[in-house]
Amino acid sequence: MNREDQIAEEAAAWIHRLNQPAIDAAAGPAFDAWMAAAPRHREVFAELQALWQSEVLVEALGQVRGVPVAASAPPVPRRWWDHGRRSAAPLAAACAVFAGVVLVPPLVGSTTYRTGAGTPKAVVLADGSRVDMSGDTELRVRIVPWSRTAVLVRGEAFFDVRHETSRTFQVASDSTSVRVLGTAFNVDRQSATRTAVAVYRGAVEIGVAGQANLILRKGEAARVVDGHIAALARVGDTVPDWKSGWFEASDIPLGVLIGKVQRYSTRPIVVQDAALQALPISGRFRISDPGKALQAVQAAYQVEVSYGPTAISVRPIGTAHDR
Amino acid sequence: MPAPLHQIDPHADDTAVEDWPAITATLSRYVRARTDRADVVEDVVQETLSRLVHQGRIQKLVSIYALGFRIAANLVIDHHRRDRRYVAEREEEPTSQMPLPDRILAGRQELAILKDALAAMPPLRRDVLVRRRLQGQSCAVIARELGLNPKAVEKHITRGLADLHKAMAGHGAARGDMQ
Repeated sequence: MNREDQIAEEAAAWIHRLNQPAIDAAAGPAFDAWMAAAPRHREVFAELQALWQSEVLVEALGQVRGVPVAASAPPVPRRWWDHGRRSAAPLAAACAVFAGVVLVPPLVGSTTYRTGAGTPKAVVLADGSRVDMSGDTELRVRIVPWSRTAVLVRGEAFFDVRHETSRTFQVASDSTSVRVLGTAFNVDRQSATRTAVAVYRGAVEIGVAGQANLILRKGEAARVVDGHIAALARVGDTVPDWKSGWFEASDIPLGVLIGKVQRYSTRPIVVQDAALQALPISGRFRISDPGKALQAVQAAYQVEVSYGPTAISVRPIGTAHDR
Repeated sequence: MPAPLHQIDPHADDTAVEDWPAITATLSRYVRARTDRADVVEDVVQETLSRLVHQGRIQKLVSIYALGFRIAANLVIDHHRRDRRYVAEREEEPTSQMPLPDRILAGRQELAILKDALAAMPPLRRDVLVRRRLQGQSCAVIARELGLNPKAVEKHITRGLADLHKAMAGHGAARGDMQ
């Protein structure tokens, strides 16, 4: 490794280390000493820090990311790393929890809220905003003095955001972002690349991959599929349908509907057939009652629902396997 | 009577002799890489320095550089937010918030370089970067979900970031360099 590469790795290690929620007291002086040691250290660190925090990097990461692994997948052991080159860098172990002094002002870590299938839950955030989470939903929230951000990792949530002029509230779902000052709106992460947004009070700005694209006002709804925005039919009520356990489908893929029913079902619902996944569905479904919802799908479309011991499967009619 | 300017008090106890020209140059380089606006660079750097001096008088700083970068990052965000709000008040058209054409071009070039560099990485390293920077996962969560030890996660992040920097520098696209 040449000197320049080595400086870059040392600088990167410092960036990583300083990004940890807690930093031990010795790290601060050690960082200043490293910075003071050479002009090139300072230059490379400044560039790397700007790169790490840049919007362009976020966009690039969003675009190169493959289809995310399902959250329920078991962790894959990657033992091969253990055979890899061991580094003797003195900066290692930044991932460990330090019990020492926290740098001022501390970077507050994010809080993760999760609900299980069939158990929606309401939470009040540190800023007084209220979030109603649907079943099987995960939301990561970070509220710091200068910003309020939430990442919808999966599922669906209704946000009633406390108005603040200086701190915007931003919700991200895949490459879709919703930026607000204070308003009530719903975000439904229907799949890794598909998100629907509806506004019940105030207005929000929808961005895709870091670019602001559309302003939605009260009663308006839109969805982003694979990075493209399309307007949806207006929403009427003051709260979204799902809060009463219903879902109004208009020409949406069966896979998306099943995903919403799944939020209420403790048993996995499997749709193996790819064509069936894409089958366009319309109608009003009681998703909070998986049995009834699937029954309705079965009655209206050419599908067969079978209840196995561990999973519910949905197949095209006439293809049922012997169990 | 005019308020006294912020100065370093040479008589203060336990005051490290800070290399202010080096701190100023470093912060300027950082802020230049984060914004295209020369007036913002000037503002942010001056404000950061004055807050550093102020903080240094109140308490002993754990790290003047770490605090400086933290303050500057917050000020850059504040400036962006103020700009966006001003634009939004003036005109509600979302198109008015689009960056200028030359900025789009530079942005696209950077985006292409970063995407290429990310694509050239081992998939595991790319995944770790996506989880850390895009999804904001903690090292502990990444380590658990990918079955790695925490040091391996750290190594992927530092190597990955160094790779990205090298790619940008190789194309002369690190904006801090071009000013």
